[in-house]
Amino acid sequence: MERKVLQVILLGIFLSLSGTAFAQLNVSGVVKSSDGEVLPGVTIVFKGTSNGVLSDVDGNYNINLPNAQAVLVFSFVGMQTQEIQVNGRSEINVTLESATIGVDEVVVTALGISREKKSLGYSVAEVKGESIQMVAQENVLNSLAGKVAGVNISSTGGPGSSVSMVIRGASSLTSDNQPLFVVDGIPMNNTLNNVSQMGGDNKADYGNAISDLNPADIESLSVLKGPSAAALYGSRAGNGVVLITTKSGKQKKGLGITVTSNTVVETPYKYLPMHHMFANGNRPYTQDNRPNNGLPYQVIDPATSGWVGPELDKGILAYQWPYFNAAGELTSTPLVSHPDNYKNFFETGYTTDNTVSISDATEKIDYRVSYSNMQNKGVIPNSDLHKHSFSLNSSIKLNEKMSVSSSINFTTSGADNRPAGNRGANPMQALYELNPHIDVRALKDYWEEGREGLQQKAPYQLEINPDGTYSKGDFINNPYFLAHEVNNGFQRDRIYGHVKLDWKLTQKLAFQIRYTHDQFHEFRDTKIAMSYSKEPNGYYGLANLYRREQNADFLFSYDTQQGNFNLSVSAGGNYMYQYASNNTTKAKDGGSGLIVPGIYSISNIINTNIQYSSAWSRKAIYSAYALASVGFKDFAYLDLTARNDWSSTLPEENRSYFYPSASLSFLFNNMVEMGSAVSLAKLRGGVAMVGNDTEPYQLLTTMTDAGAWGDQTRLTSSGTLLLPNLKPEIQTSWEVGADLALYDNRLRFEGTYYSSENENQVLNIGLPPSSGYNAKQINAGLISSKGLELSLGATPVKTNDLSWDVNLVYSRNRTRIEELSEGFNYITLWTDAKGGAVTWVGEEIGNIIDKKMLRVEDKKSDYYGWPIIDDEGWDSSDGTWERDGKRVAPVIGNFNPDFTLGIQTTLHYKKWSLSASLDWRKGGQFVSQTLRYGESDLHSQRWIDRTVKVNHLDDVAGYIKANAGQYLSPDGMFFVVVGGPTAETGGFEHTEGGITLHDGVFMPGVVGEYDDNGNFVAQYENIGGDETQYIRYQDFYGWDYTRTATFDADFIKLREISLSYQLPSMKSIGIQNATVSLYSRNLILWTKASIGIDPEMAFQPESSEQGSSGSMFKQGIERFNVAPWTIPVGIKLNVSF
Amino acid sequence: MKRKKIYQNILLLVFLMVTVASCRDLTDLNVNPNGVDPLTVNPNLVVPTVITATAIPYLEMGYHGDIAGVMQYVQKSGWGSGLNNFDWISERSWDSYYSNLRNIRLLTERSVAEGYEFHHGVSLILRAFTFGYITDGWGDAPYNAALNAPAGEQTDMFPAFDTQETIYKGIIEDLKQANTLLSKSTEAYKGIVNEADVIFNGDPLKWRKMANSLMLRYYLRVSSKLTDYAKSGIEEIISDPNTYPVFTSIEDDATMSYIGTSNSDSWPANTTYDASESNFSRIQLGAGLRDVLVELHDPRLAVWFNKAKVPIQVSKQYAPETDIRVDGVRYIDPDYMAANNMVIYNRNNWVADVSAGKVLVDTMEYVGIPTAYLAAEPYTYNLNPSPVQGGYNEHVSALTDMYRDAAGDLLKARLISYSEVCFILAEAAKKGWSVGAQKNWYEKGIQASLDTWEVGDRYDAYIMNDGVIYDGSLEQIMTQKWIANWTVAVESWCDWRRTGYPQLAFGPRGRRNAMPLRFRYDANEKNRNSDNYSDAIENLVETPFTAQDGKDSSWSKIWLLQ
Repeated sequence: MERKVLQVILLGIFLSLSGTAFAQLNVSGVVKSSDGEVLPGVTIVFKGTSNGVLSDVDGNYNINLPNAQAVLVFSFVGMQTQEIQVNGRSEINVTLESATIGVDEVVVTALGISREKKSLGYSVAEVKGESIQMVAQENVLNSLAGKVAGVNISSTGGPGSSVSMVIRGASSLTSDNQPLFVVDGIPMNNTLNNVSQMGGDNKADYGNAISDLNPADIESLSVLKGPSAAALYGSRAGNGVVLITTKSGKQKKGLGITVTSNTVVETPYKYLPMHHMFANGNRPYTQDNRPNNGLPYQVIDPATSGWVGPELDKGILAYQWPYFNAAGELTSTPLVSHPDNYKNFFETGYTTDNTVSISDATEKIDYRVSYSNMQNKGVIPNSDLHKHSFSLNSSIKLNEKMSVSSSINFTTSGADNRPAGNRGANPMQALYELNPHIDVRALKDYWEEGREGLQQKAPYQLEINPDGTYSKGDFINNPYFLAHEVNNGFQRDRIYGHVKLDWKLTQKLAFQIRYTHDQFHEFRDTKIAMSYSKEPNGYYGLANLYRREQNADFLFSYDTQQGNFNLSVSAGGNYMYQYASNNTTKAKDGGSGLIVPGIYSISNIINTNIQYSSAWSRKAIYSAYALASVGFKDFAYLDLTARNDWSSTLPEENRSYFYPSASLSFLFNNMVEMGSAVSLAKLRGGVAMVGNDTEPYQLLTTMTDAGAWGDQTRLTSSGTLLLPNLKPEIQTSWEVGADLALYDNRLRFEGTYYSSENENQVLNIGLPPSSGYNAKQINAGLISSKGLELSLGATPVKTNDLSWDVNLVYSRNRTRIEELSEGFNYITLWTDAKGGAVTWVGEEIGNIIDKKMLRVEDKKSDYYGWPIIDDEGWDSSDGTWERDGKRVAPVIGNFNPDFTLGIQTTLHYKKWSLSASLDWRKGGQFVSQTLRYGESDLHSQRWIDRTVKVNHLDDVAGYIKANAGQYLSPDGMFFVVVGGPTAETGGFEHTEGGITLHDGVFMPGVVGEYDDNGNFVAQYENIGGDETQYIRYQDFYGWDYTRTATFDADFIKLREISLSYQLPSMKSIGIQNATVSLYSRNLILWTKASIGIDPEMAFQPESSEQGSSGSMFKQGIERFNVAPWTIPVGIKLNVSF
Repeated sequence: MKRKKIYQNILLLVFLMVTVASCRDLTDLNVNPNGVDPLTVNPNLVVPTVITATAIPYLEMGYHGDIAGVMQYVQKSGWGSGLNNFDWISERSWDSYYSNLRNIRLLTERSVAEGYEFHHGVSLILRAFTFGYITDGWGDAPYNAALNAPAGEQTDMFPAFDTQETIYKGIIEDLKQANTLLSKSTEAYKGIVNEADVIFNGDPLKWRKMANSLMLRYYLRVSSKLTDYAKSGIEEIISDPNTYPVFTSIEDDATMSYIGTSNSDSWPANTTYDASESNFSRIQLGAGLRDVLVELHDPRLAVWFNKAKVPIQVSKQYAPETDIRVDGVRYIDPDYMAANNMVIYNRNNWVADVSAGKVLVDTMEYVGIPTAYLAAEPYTYNLNPSPVQGGYNEHVSALTDMYRDAAGDLLKARLISYSEVCFILAEAAKKGWSVGAQKNWYEKGIQASLDTWEVGDRYDAYIMNDGVIYDGSLEQIMTQKWIANWTVAVESWCDWRRTGYPQLAFGPRGRRNAMPLRFRYDANEKNRNSDNYSDAIENLVETPFTAQDGKDSSWSKIWLLQ
């Protein structure tokens, strides 16, 4: 039926086509730019109407005039609009001057409609292709960091890792909050959740699929931030939309060839601050003062996690791995440190990226073809990434009124090995857990001699048998072995494209119909050789992923001018269909592995050890939408949109949901005379709603496979209660803003304040286990976000030879939980390290909570505030989160920044230009599991430096008391350790097993109990006096507290710096333009925590979604995501013919 | 005009194609093709799930879990403060037990719907067993209102706790119902898939015997609180073996074998799938078990543990060397020992020695680690020359090599055994209940256990050993039951709490100076069900060892012990 109606409309439109304009006076001419290039596509209209023509590819135009006194208005993207009185002339050639950036900027908005930025009532950020391409980044998202207000980019690791882009804070708690990417009208599949695990403790991040986009093909990129900007993209636009326009042949007439070549070399320079003072062990024994093993020297066990063994570089002799000399005799050697282990292990990384493109444009047809090739070798040995992409973009003008455009892109990307993250098979973990008494270079040939392919050469514990022979005990993984023999490869072939017909039915009515298609197939396989500690028998597994999204849409647009009003109305519809499948076939984790070593094939796994899984899903959404835009004179604009979606993922009764938006803008500079200093003075505001559906099959649970027991299937029911009558989430937001441009646009300001409320949140809320369920999905609650985005730009210097631009971008966002469902007071994003990211109603998302250290709470006591120590010398803690519905767990930080500030600056001098982009993150915290594990085993120099070293004082207790504010108060240092591993490092005398060393420490506090009236009754002070309980340094670490390993996340980073030079003209040899540039990126200049870990890497990959977060990444925490800091140096050559 | 027509037609065609292609029914699209619907699932696909989820954690707790340490079967040389030092100050999760009960409930519902009486009976036994573990461990717990979240009321989502008395009586009622459901001959049941029953291979009679044997266990558990109830219950069972058949031989034991193809279906801490061996080597013999088994000349010790790889002897024979290894023996000079504050381990005096700051040297063939003798992890014990947290110790007994395997004839998760039944009845007889002769059950219990560990041929000699030969005491029964419950430490802990036997010595370095009596409530329960939790802990009685824990302490008394 719907179709019938449309047919009638179409026919009507066809009929009206025959009515055309009367032939009257005629004017023609050529439009050129100030540098003499012809300009195709210039809009030429009669002033006061929207009637007009476009210039052709040669810049020619021809227009029939209603009268001889008509005024023609010439306008073009990026050019100053010109008005010319015809005055009876028949030929008018026009030269358009470049517009000063900003004021007359045209941006791409929803549904791909180009709009003058000044007319918009909401905030849209435009990023030009050049600024993305200036410094090559493997994933285009990395180029956006710090450049767009309100956009937060977090990279989870090095090249090839997932990159998260969150616009205006997390608005939904059940999705990964990634914006929708639309490339030339094609919605692109992109998700953050690309971590998978095949094989025991082998979690690899395969990177997000948006990296298939070739940065060199991008013409421009618009970020539609709020829902008002995005209302027309529907459900998926709740997190914002990134619209990408790729380059086409249109820009330039005639054949053009461009070659770009990039090479970046990355040199590691900063590693984790591990100490190299002690060998493995729990106490720093000496030759004369050690447990007797019946041997002349002590044996160092490299599998001991503690690093408080005998001191290195003191000439102490020991039996240390590999223990035996060439003759096979147990031989003692001096313990020496190898401080360069990390430097020796990591390699220089490099990336080359080359693009060739050919474009051409004639009157009828234009096209652009490009090919890019990227090769990367990472700083971790045997890690790589490669990508080839082809694209073809073309449009054909069928006649004056119709044109067809299409694009097709093919990308094939992959890696032979994506190193594992987190802990387990991660080579960086093995490296940083290798004690400095072992030279990592001794492990480089990573097979045991004579057992190649069967047994890694790994440091092991030496066991002495009663008969005097030796055998191997526990061993540790060799980092080279993990890097080379745990291989997580992938290959992703992606094809996406569109075909579109534009039809100008009449002067005022246009029609567009489009089909878009995006699909990829990704193949992952993991090969693990024999002897990895978690897969001793080897491993093979493969996974096939397939994703497809198809969209068909149409749009009618009608433009008219009535008096002072300019009206434009569009209406259309969209059909979207998604299909996804995942199939895996692999050995069971920690299983019997491969039958024959080294053959990686499913047929080489015994049947009972094979694990299969297969799943597929479908989803469709029907949509109908309309938008209207009314302009009054040149100073007031009103935009209205409306959309209705019907989603297959919701129950029938809630399937249809409607959402409108409205926005308004006033250009005061066009309303009243404000003097020549004011180029733009605009106020804007908007209100919008966006509805959001969910993933397929979220209404009813099914049984899942708990893994077969022998040949018996084990199914388990879901521990999450779902809601069969799920309602769509509704996000309502408003924003107000002001844009100001002064002094010919040399001073620019944009500010936006926004607020959004997300209702009917679909959340997993924790249930008490006794209810039989861990979580219940609720469709209630309210989450609010508020934020401020400011950008300030200035061009302090502008002459013909010299210009200097500087732009500041400031963002802050706060997201709070306003309401949850009855009986539920908090949601959990993740738990780890004894605490977690948990938010109570009324508090902010991102809060990190901890256990509470017990301190004297009796205000009448002399010891008020002191830690309560038990009679063994240990601290006491309380892990209760909530009491009587209120949070009692302390909040020790928040993983979100207070604000971020990005600064971009460019200096042009003649043919030279220097650009830099700097980022400052202020505030926020992160948890380092790397240091938590490392420091609890006393691996770090930081922990040795941190202890209070007062063992030389006569009156330690007096000193501690005199400095009570620092050592005993809750406001002082957290988890105070007085003492150290040796006398020199502050340790006290301590005897264990009859052996006395100076590795005693204590925690200052008081021992005692509360009496029945709640008064604290002290037994004795534990502050260094006689009764003090000393504990061995190796045992004492604040393992029970998240806070021990929580650090400030503030940093300043030099994202990009680039110096480029335009080579002198070489037109004689056919080169139009040649530029060479030198650049660097991601240089970390300062971190507040100063622990050698990039706070941006606090993004821990897991193999399943975490808590209520919908993300496989735990934000604000990292575990062995500690690639060394590098100095990348890149060179880029760009030549166009 | 003509060209326009062509375009018009093309356009219409395209439009038609797109809209026709898009005519899919949205409801059909959202039917999940990937999983089995819980409303229609065949019970046999859930049976292995719930059996394994019941047996695996029970075995792990009883073999190398905290209770195995507290009951002094084993100690750990690393990451074992819960075993070695009663470090039970943290909350203990019961999440996995209630999750298992959710699946068990599904099994009950599906069996009833399908008319599968065998499966229904099995589900009731597993439900009783799991709730038994919960109330044994934590005390009062949600029972009647538990597992009911789908009903959606606040009282369903936040279940109230029931008293232990209610729970134990509920358990007995479930077991009685199971006994009735399982009373038919095998052929009378619908839907049995033998292989899915990974304990009894689809044998209803064996399950029925298990239900009644468990009834004996739980009646005895409440015998000091509900004496008449327990007495009449046990006497009724024993007086009517036709109505209440119980285990009559070790062939009846409720044990689950392991598969051994991957770590998740293998004996815990095996070295087949943990090449670094660190999970295996950290489990070491407890001195408490060693002292008793050595004293009784018990043949089971050699089945479970190896001798210390390098024994220590105190001798002057290599003077002036004070500490030397010769031919696989380490010799220590007695004067050197005295000078270094060392003392030979003595079962009756070691606690005083350690308290006095002495260093223990154990010179026996089998060396066990004393419980709570050191604040730190006990990897330095017995002068270990290469002390490694969680590492191997050449001067301490390790598990025998069969425990390195992923699966084996003797590597079974044991839920309840014939030998336990014998000792239960021996204790009942000791109480004067009419269940038969105490001596008979005592000796049968020992015989059954020796047979289980394939040393039955040593019975005749063993039963005559000092300390083993029947003396009619409760301590003797409980000691033998404790030995027989190797890897079933949970049951020994319950017995010890009830009877005080076996009397176990422990050092001064426990987290508290007493063995723990219960688990602290689950953290999620506490945080998410705080009102009901707050009410429940009022029923706990503090002891001198609860310290700053408050009522919800591992040293508080549950109803059973009050």
